[in-house]
Amino acid sequence: MQIKKVAVIGSGTMGAGIAQWFLQQNLIVDLVDQSPEQLKNAIEKIFKSLENLKLKNKISDEDLKNFKNNLRATDLAGIHRDVDLVIEAIVEKLDVKEKLFLDLDRTLPPKTIFASNTSSIPITEIAKNLPIDRKKNFLGIHFFNPATVMKLVEIIDGFETDKQMSQNLLNFFKQKGKVSVSCLDRPGFIVNRVARNFYGESLRIVENYELEKIKATDQCLKEVGGFKMGPFELMDLIGIDVNYSVTESVYRSFFDEPRFRPHKLQKEMVISGRLGVKTKKGFYEYEK
Amino acid sequence: MKNKNILVVIEPNHPHFKTIEKNFLTRNADEAIASYETYDLVVDLTIYRTEKKIIFLKELAKTTKALIISDLTCTFQDRIFHQLPQVKASVSSFFYSPTRTIEYFIRIETEDHIKTMLQNFIDEFFSKVEMKTFENKMIDITFTVPRVVSQIINEAYFALDEKLASKEDIDLAMINGVNYPLGPFSWAQKTGLAHIHSILEELYTTTHDMRYRSSLTLKKECL
Repeated sequence: MQIKKVAVIGSGTMGAGIAQWFLQQNLIVDLVDQSPEQLKNAIEKIFKSLENLKLKNKISDEDLKNFKNNLRATDLAGIHRDVDLVIEAIVEKLDVKEKLFLDLDRTLPPKTIFASNTSSIPITEIAKNLPIDRKKNFLGIHFFNPATVMKLVEIIDGFETDKQMSQNLLNFFKQKGKVSVSCLDRPGFIVNRVARNFYGESLRIVENYELEKIKATDQCLKEVGGFKMGPFELMDLIGIDVNYSVTESVYRSFFDEPRFRPHKLQKEMVISGRLGVKTKKGFYEYEK
Repeated sequence: MKNKNILVVIEPNHPHFKTIEKNFLTRNADEAIASYETYDLVVDLTIYRTEKKIIFLKELAKTTKALIISDLTCTFQDRIFHQLPQVKASVSSFFYSPTRTIEYFIRIETEDHIKTMLQNFIDEFFSKVEMKTFENKMIDITFTVPRVVSQIINEAYFALDEKLASKEDIDLAMINGVNYPLGPFSWAQKTGLAHIHSILEELYTTTHDMRYRSSLTLKKECL
């Protein structure tokens, strides 16, 4: 499989990270966003990150020059028609993603692979209104934040996805140094599903907002369990509202399966506006 | 510890059986309740669920007045402490820890000098098997790490029930996607799947919450 040109739609944290990772594989990247301001910031962020890699001697002067030259900021209409792969990392809303791919389907040839970086919306559902040939070339490619650092990529087949195509992509990512794993199109895929109880069970251990218990649980899971961060520290970092929303989404998608039931403390934290690091207050408090 | 007369009750299915057998006077559960020797301290490392543990500890208490430290990983700890005043502390000695650290708990009402003695003893005892210790001051059903990790393992098995991905890919995903120290299936293997099942059963029996029911594949692999 030849992947030489990629379009990344959405230039937020994930989109910019994914674009940078592709650049570092010597690919040509179109970075797309409807907000010129957001796009400009993302390009500056990527360039700064690449320059830091150069300062640390992780890439050469020539690499830096090539990577920068290979990145192009554009809008949807300006995407190269010969891109091999389009991956979206836009807002997690089904209708927005559906419309995006319908628009892209009208302008890009059938051989172009379409992918979603969604962490929670079923791939089959995003592709449901696309023509059958496009559905065969549609799949989930789920990167983890930060995309340039975290090795994992989940490859998710939709109901109609061409298995050979997804296997080829899995091999492409492996060849490029990622740990790529294949999974079915089920809520949360692998990681966001299996990790639910790291938070859910910890919340049930503490039950209420008691800082001493929260600290003790985090400390225990790090010191005894060997986890790099405790569940409450991690929820603060991710955003308690974001984590709660993923939990609710997985819970609903599994038809109210008790294993995924959200905890009242999550809701209390969200209602109280203590969302974590981003609001300077979550389970812990952070300096202003 | 040098001046203390210590009995360790342990069965061969315990991961530290060989090391502990080399360093301490050991008996299996049947031998322990059949002997009436005098000890200062009994360390019970049998891996039993609540009902069996209560029966065993009651029998043991008939043979000795020594303080007892018991492995209560597979139990509803409050019930044991409520029924057996001789049990002064609990440990989680067999659940795999990537950092080689065990959780322990000392009864809150324990007098300070006994508490200090128990803390020192537990530190020294587990240093013989090259384990560090972590005092957990809030216990309930099982311990913190066994409870959280058993539920993660159970979910990985539910994913396997649905053929979501292979065991290898699920392990790889958790290590490389969220930096887990090891994958859920490796963790289950290192701890013993039957013990994970016991912890889940205990959580389910105690709470009657369906979130703790075990996956079918997990149950099958325990057969």
